[in-house]
Amino acid sequence: MRSGVASGKTGTGRLGLTRREFLRAAGGLVVAVSLWPERPAVGAAAGEGDRAGWLRVGEDGRVTVFAPVPEAGQALRTELAQLAAEELRLPISALEVILGDTHRVPPDITVCAGSAISTLGPEVRRAAAEAREALAKAAAEQWRVPPEQVQLREGRALLISDTDTAVPIGDLAQRAAEMRRAGGPAALTPPAEHRVVGKSVPSLDGPAYVTGEARYAADLRPPGLAYGKVLRPPYLGGRLLSLQTRAAAAQPGVIAVVEEDDLVGVVATRPDVAERAALSLRATWGQGLAVSGASLYEDLRASAELEAELASQGDVEAALAGARQGYSASYRTPFVAHAPMEPHAALAAPEGERVVVHASTQRPFQHQAAVAGALGIPAARVRVICPAVGGAFGGKDSPEVSVQAARLARAVGRPVLVAQSREEELGWNYFRPAAVIDVRCGVAGDGRIAAWDCDVLNCGSRGALAPYRFENHRVRVHRCRAPLPQGPWRGMGGAANAFAREVHLDYVASQLGTDPIGLRLRHLEEAPRLARVVCLAAERHGWRDRRPPTGLGSGFACAVDAGSFAAVIADVEVERTSGHVRVRRVFVVQDSGLVINPDNMRSQIEGAVVMGLGFTLREAVRYEQGRILTRSFASYPIPTFYGAPAIDIVLDSDRHDLPRGGGTAALCAIAPAVANAIFDAVGKRLRELPLSPARVRSAP
Amino acid sequence: MLVAEPTEPIIVSVNGTEHRLEVAGSRSLLSVLRAELGLTGAKYGCGEGECGVCTVLLEGRPVRACTTPISHAHGREVVTIEGLAEQGELHPVQEAFLEAQAFQCGYCTPGMIMEAVALLRQKPRPSELEIREAMSGHLCRCGTYSRIIKAIHLAADAMRR
Repeated sequence: MRSGVASGKTGTGRLGLTRREFLRAAGGLVVAVSLWPERPAVGAAAGEGDRAGWLRVGEDGRVTVFAPVPEAGQALRTELAQLAAEELRLPISALEVILGDTHRVPPDITVCAGSAISTLGPEVRRAAAEAREALAKAAAEQWRVPPEQVQLREGRALLISDTDTAVPIGDLAQRAAEMRRAGGPAALTPPAEHRVVGKSVPSLDGPAYVTGEARYAADLRPPGLAYGKVLRPPYLGGRLLSLQTRAAAAQPGVIAVVEEDDLVGVVATRPDVAERAALSLRATWGQGLAVSGASLYEDLRASAELEAELASQGDVEAALAGARQGYSASYRTPFVAHAPMEPHAALAAPEGERVVVHASTQRPFQHQAAVAGALGIPAARVRVICPAVGGAFGGKDSPEVSVQAARLARAVGRPVLVAQSREEELGWNYFRPAAVIDVRCGVAGDGRIAAWDCDVLNCGSRGALAPYRFENHRVRVHRCRAPLPQGPWRGMGGAANAFAREVHLDYVASQLGTDPIGLRLRHLEEAPRLARVVCLAAERHGWRDRRPPTGLGSGFACAVDAGSFAAVIADVEVERTSGHVRVRRVFVVQDSGLVINPDNMRSQIEGAVVMGLGFTLREAVRYEQGRILTRSFASYPIPTFYGAPAIDIVLDSDRHDLPRGGGTAALCAIAPAVANAIFDAVGKRLRELPLSPARVRSAP
Repeated sequence: MLVAEPTEPIIVSVNGTEHRLEVAGSRSLLSVLRAELGLTGAKYGCGEGECGVCTVLLEGRPVRACTTPISHAHGREVVTIEGLAEQGELHPVQEAFLEAQAFQCGYCTPGMIMEAVALLRQKPRPSELEIREAMSGHLCRCGTYSRIIKAIHLAADAMRR
């Protein structure tokens, strides 16, 4: 790890500065603590390897935190402020947090934006600790005392022995910046002494949310704003053969019909005019992709190619052959949509040689690179700013809409907003990869699982490796030619992999006539943190072994994701004749390392359960002949007020671990917990999501 | 440049201010609020009245602004989330949403709050089921439903005091 302290003259950050220039201009104490180049900056614009500041103490005493990922509902802003406030001994209200602005924040080093806190949190925490030490040293020098005799409190440095001797930290910023800190990293405040971290501080964005003042990309109204609407083919892969634009161009209010390579868009003075004009474009299209959902799982199998072998321990084939009993099954999960309430939107404003894009994304640097590439200009001339983001769930990485807005804006020479309709959002985004997962399991004479062989098709490696100790263990991940565009989705492949593994274990336990939690615990001796949440869940829930099917049932599942450990028990009620499943209560025990904000952690877990129940019970993208059929909330029903169950959460965290993203582990475990509960309730084993009434009715 | 369509001016009161608008009567109330009046608290979510994020009060009743033609608001009174607080004082429902932290990304929040305000005017002490029923047309992809229910109970308590 490299670290350093930089300083500069006073000025304001504005468009047109490189990050280095910005830092130089920003003045005060800028602390850059970074892990690169040891760890490459994911998504950083090419050629920008400079270390950027995570935190600045201005000469006016104002403290600003900078981080690359925007607020999209995880309370990232609030939690980063808590970490910095803790180390700097400041009230949280004294901090400002700047997120997701390519010209002001450090490059993106996160792999998973949803659990950004686990990557960005430690950076901000170290930067704040370093700033605290540098400020204390500057004060110590002024008072000619050792730095240990100086303490920071409420924005001032104090002499411990005489607290009337004090100086505001802003007055120390310049000197602190000059004194490059030598030696090892600054000491972090031990968790036992935390006063701000670990408290349920209300969201810093809350007041703007409840008053309607929060500004999302489609809410910005710069002077001269025009509205763009892009022409979409009727099916995937459709290529434009011919286009008549006259009727569209003739409509009053239409500024231009733009035709540039593959982009056709209408720009108008008003959104309704742009929409109407786009509808009057007369286009003919070539043949598209003839993909249909009816053959989804066959299509995946037919195109599967071995990508990686994640585990190869012992001799799986021999152990399977020698096992007392063998249990094999396949599990299937369909494509699902992110469906954030805010559809993608981007507002691009040309400013001379440069362009400023306000984009609904968690990946401003990826959007910057893509816009620069599309316009053929250097990345430094593209500034991407993330305003409030109305949910992302992994679905807002693609820069498509930012590029469309930037190209239309350049074509008409004024700011253009491209805001997707719900139909575009559900039909033209990428989806969570569908999956087929084959599991073969052999049980030895002593009742232990002697062999576990798992083939994962299409959904990738996340969560594919079982957290259990199996003596003979093989996991092979296969890539497939996916029929639909696919990409990141909250928890990635973790949900599909947990579904296969945890339902299969429940199946094996039921075949062996043993308790499903007991069977897991016998294989968790090398995973103490997971074992701990599993035991706690069984204890607190009042779990007991299977009963004869009564229509009411409980199911267990656990998962490790993004460094969090979750054990989930779902209590369900199943109507045998209709196949309707009602999830009455969900019980979660979770360990997410250092919990910065317990109430927010609970909120993230509640959200994970609710979102997880969507793909557990109802959601699936339907498509036919290259057409996405599920392009409205009527055809793609996401969870509602009616389906929301009671959710009980026990946080049992190891606070000496790093802060971990808490919004995915329970999401991975919820589908298998419900499937296992259905088995408990009515004796039916379901191995394909969603667990729809039709599947419940027809299951053996 | 505005579209030249044969149209009578539409007169509508929004958050207590009267506006005279030269817009086509078929245009949605949501589009007019957001693009013409700059009131962006009501959001676009689906354009079909399926998700509730565009909810505003028309003559005190909750409507989906995305499917309400502006002509329908002629001579009437509209209240949006921006008009809810009085003299800088948050409405009890807004306070309750803060107290329960009943949001994550915040996008559905204005619509939820407007519906809850209307509900509590009709039913000052709603049961949990009545809350679920009244709010059932509102979607929150972050999954904060149980917090929103709690917030509405809190607001109901606060408004009775």
